[in-house]
Amino acid sequence: MAIINYAQKVINFKVVYYGPGVAGKTANLQHIHKSLPDVSRGNMISLAAGDDRTLFFDFLPVSATTVRGFTAKFQLYTVPGQVYYNMTRKLVLRGVDGLVFVADSQWDRLRENVESFRNLEENLREYNYNLDEMPYVIQYNKRDLANIAPLPYMEFMLNRRARQVPYFEAVAVNGDGVFDTLNTVSRMVLVGEFGQEKGEHRETA
Amino acid sequence: MVIHEGDAEKINAVLTTFLGESGATEALLIDRSGQLLAMTGANRALDTVSISALAAGAFSSTGALAQLLGETEFTVLFHQGNKESMHVSTVDDQAILLAIFGERTTVGMVRLFAKEAATAVGQLLAEARAKPRTIGALSTPLTADESRTSFGEPRKS
Repeated sequence: MAIINYAQKVINFKVVYYGPGVAGKTANLQHIHKSLPDVSRGNMISLAAGDDRTLFFDFLPVSATTVRGFTAKFQLYTVPGQVYYNMTRKLVLRGVDGLVFVADSQWDRLRENVESFRNLEENLREYNYNLDEMPYVIQYNKRDLANIAPLPYMEFMLNRRARQVPYFEAVAVNGDGVFDTLNTVSRMVLVGEFGQEKGEHRETA
Repeated sequence: MVIHEGDAEKINAVLTTFLGESGATEALLIDRSGQLLAMTGANRALDTVSISALAAGAFSSTGALAQLLGETEFTVLFHQGNKESMHVSTVDDQAILLAIFGERTTVGMVRLFAKEAATAVGQLLAEARAKPRTIGALSTPLTADESRTSFGEPRKS
């Protein structure tokens, strides 16, 4: 839920990176943290278990553009991907304004992707959020690996709802596709909150 | 959620009174999604953005624990440190109040006045939520240029 603070001239949004375990959600945030200058980002917090898997969430606040005198800030979160962490995953979704679904492109991870996507829909429903109205993009990660499914197949599995959303191929550990993903979802979140002038291009169309 | 300038002044006044009465050093009003709504207190370099995200996470986590025990929620969360402690309590179903305090007061004092402050702030938040979300500069749709964000590397064509 966007928070517009007229006193501080700041608009805050929450964007959650969702997806199955080890798909590269944390890698996205790490690349963003590493690449942005200090003025555009805050500290990154990782609540991880001993094996580097996210236990609760990663958190990284970033600020982008000035919109009519207001600074737009985006608080980026990841969720723990493992199936058994659903309770904490659900907690992180509270108040979400936009989503990045990070899918693992490897053939043997396709089932986990689909299950995670269904789990996302279920968890959103519990907050009375509707994925059809939520700004989101899909990132097909790990495109550098050998055993990956072709893009049309990934699209068929994950992006065949009535509203098809923008998607990106990525190699998050190298940074490929990371900022394309972030720039698109943040733009969709802004348009979702304030609308866009008629006749203008909408990436959510 | 929209906080207009008038709302911010009223909320800060309540938080300032709370600090004076309770002896706490900082008070942060935090949305349960993890975002900081307002803050008053000693002017030191605290990472309030991270504190807000973590406190909201911890509070929502204890709420889930409460539900596992059949409780609606635990209304207070208290972390005791050697020199500084933290008290987090419910304001309403969308916000929490975090107080940081040192050795010059007690958790009992903080708890007592946090309850009063929460009631007052809760009313102000309810009024703020009832107001239109977008006014003035933000009342008309954005142009394509205005909604374009450019984090990091230039966009690939």
